[in-house]
Amino acid sequence: MSAAPVLVCTGLVKRFGDLVAVDGVGFEISPGETYGLLGPNGAGKTTTISMVCGLLERDDGDVVVAGRPLTTTSVEAKAAIGYVPQEIAVYPDLTGRENLRFFSRLYGMAPAAATERIGEALEVVGLADRADDLAGEYSGGMKRRLNIAIGLLHRPRLLVLDEPTVGVDPQSRNAILEGVEALAGGGIAVLYTTHYMEEAERLCDRIGIIDAGVIRAEGTRRELVALVGERDRVRLAGSGDLASVATACGALPGVEAASVRDGAVDLIVEGARGLLPELLRVAAESGGLVDGVDVHEPDLESVFLHLTGKALRD
Amino acid sequence: MRSLAIAAVNLRRFARQRANLFFVLVLPLLIVAMLGLVFGATDVDLGVVQRSGGPLAEQLSDDLGATEDLAVVRYEDESALERAVQRGRVEAGLVVPDDYTAVLEAGGTATVRWIARPGTASIQLRQAVEAAVARQGTVLRAARFVAAEQGGDVESRLAAAATVAAAVPGVDVEVRPADETVAAGDLGQFDLGAATQLVLFVFLTSLFGAPTLIEVRRLGLSRRMLSTPTRHLQVLLGESLGRLAIALVQAAIIVVGSALLFGVAWGSPPAAAAIVACFALVGASFAMLLGSALSSDQQAGALALVLGLGLAALGGSMVPLEVFPDRVRTIAHVTPHAWANDAFAEVLRHGGGLVDVLAPLAVLLAYAAVVFSLAAWFFRRAVTG
Ligand SMILES: Nc1ncnc2c1ncn2[C@@H]1O[C@H](COP(=O)(O)OP(=O)(O)OP(=O)(O)O)[C@@H](O)[C@H]1O
Ligand SMILES: [Mg+2]
Repeated sequence: MSAAPVLVCTGLVKRFGDLVAVDGVGFEISPGETYGLLGPNGAGKTTTISMVCGLLERDDGDVVVAGRPLTTTSVEAKAAIGYVPQEIAVYPDLTGRENLRFFSRLYGMAPAAATERIGEALEVVGLADRADDLAGEYSGGMKRRLNIAIGLLHRPRLLVLDEPTVGVDPQSRNAILEGVEALAGGGIAVLYTTHYMEEAERLCDRIGIIDAGVIRAEGTRRELVALVGERDRVRLAGSGDLASVATACGALPGVEAASVRDGAVDLIVEGARGLLPELLRVAAESGGLVDGVDVHEPDLESVFLHLTGKALRD
Repeated sequence: MRSLAIAAVNLRRFARQRANLFFVLVLPLLIVAMLGLVFGATDVDLGVVQRSGGPLAEQLSDDLGATEDLAVVRYEDESALERAVQRGRVEAGLVVPDDYTAVLEAGGTATVRWIARPGTASIQLRQAVEAAVARQGTVLRAARFVAAEQGGDVESRLAAAATVAAAVPGVDVEVRPADETVAAGDLGQFDLGAATQLVLFVFLTSLFGAPTLIEVRRLGLSRRMLSTPTRHLQVLLGESLGRLAIALVQAAIIVVGSALLFGVAWGSPPAAAAIVACFALVGASFAMLLGSALSSDQQAGALALVLGLGLAALGGSMVPLEVFPDRVRTIAHVTPHAWANDAFAEVLRHGGGLVDVLAPLAVLLAYAAVVFSLAAWFFRRAVTG
């Protein structure tokens, strides 16, 4: 990645009253690179993205897109960005094609070029056969795909996708992920936020793990996982008083983090093999009925747990 | 360019809703019917006492009878006429003295009497009568002039003299109210009715751009527009242009419809068009202000109604400004309505043209600029925090 970065942001800060929603976030994205912001609800992903796209007044920090500084009043610099908001922002009473046509005009595209690009964007998201139906009549997944198509329309140098797969069926999700992979392969820089670990692992060349407005760690998947070291993730599935189980196990030497998620206790431990009997005993003593044990090699989920002591999703 | 794209989408979405068709077409037509019934030109009865006033008095009666929308009803004497006016059998009365022709031909000034009830539409009637009297006066004056220069008798020169203009009429109209308690000066308001209603409606209908803007904001679309190379002023301008177009179409339907179908008077077309356009601009700016400062479309709808009716009431669109005490009338001019109504008064009562209403138009434009700037500030704050 020797080419000049498409996006450079540094020291971004946003306060909402007493809450510091984003506290000194900074990263760079190069052409063809997909950068993921991985973090739980309320971590500050959307707030960061809003500042990157010049949609939110920032309290501090700088954003440079394609070599141009960007603020909320920038006009030229915004032409380089394709923004796909977390909420579906399309006119429900216009057709998919009309929505695209409208935004092509806002991007200042000539009508003929726009017609061609609209066709391409519809193909990429797989909406070509429904392009002339009202967007309000689309399924949730189709609305999401239209939402994305608008962001792709003008071949931006930086594509910003804010949790584009939320509430989407597996098939649509896969289509979306494939689309993003293809775009990145075509050389555009992608900023992708998600709280799905699998998506981040699959798509992103580099990942920033964000929590409470701070990027806790950044790097490739391999680099991040190395942070956890020789630690394993142990998952005790079962019923009973799982909260007490987590507390009791968390107090054992060799256990780094413990939290409850989806009817199981997630643990980060040093040397799972040796600790397992001890863990099961403590679990039984503190009122848990364990009926399944999984031991995982470290993944991003473990990294997050390791860094924050919390599960990525609750 | 981008603003036009935004305005076009705004209009396209508006047109897609069937209910809006009612709003934009049927509602104005209902208002046309209402204006037609209340302010339309229908034959008005004028009572006339004219027994032996001579040929010139006859000519005056004939002239009045030939006036469009006016019917002359003869009465035997003044007291019968007064009773008829009081009871509303005729709209107003005119008493032509017996020595009318004699006095005029002698070069004197004849005095006709005008009898009217307060609180009626008699002002238009009086203007018609004054016009007829003045016509005759002008002709007579000229006739006298011609007689003096060339000799011969006055009557024989009258026809030729009709082409010669003279400034001062030879006939005075003496006004006498049928009801002593109200002075004749109070009778100047009725001709403005249709215009003041139009002002009320245009503003109200413009304000309903506010909930539309709030919806666009709520859908995340104005935010998304700002993620493209589009300035927030362009977004707001586009949204207000859409609403402006709707209001102007409605106003055009009302003005043209009521004029063609019912003969409602709107004065000089360029002046009336300019007043409506500038005023609708103020209305659209107000809509953008509400739509930017508020965040619930129900709230905005309710406030639009309160503002639309409240400002109209204070601004002379429900009760004419003339009946307000001076101080209230001054205060009323904080509303754009008062300026628009003033402008229409100038056009309708004094036959003013575009140049005569430039001052109130400038006030309206300044008003729109200030309100729009305020709206832009709120809009930016609402969308980009
Ligand atoms: N306009 C706002 N006013 C006040 N607080 C806000 C505002 N927007 C965001 N916040 C707060 O800032 C924090 C970060 O929010 P943000 O939307 O950036 O999180 P996120 O990472 O995008 O979460 P999610 O995954 O749920 O979308 C949250 O605590 C949120 O409540
Ligand atoms: Mg978010």
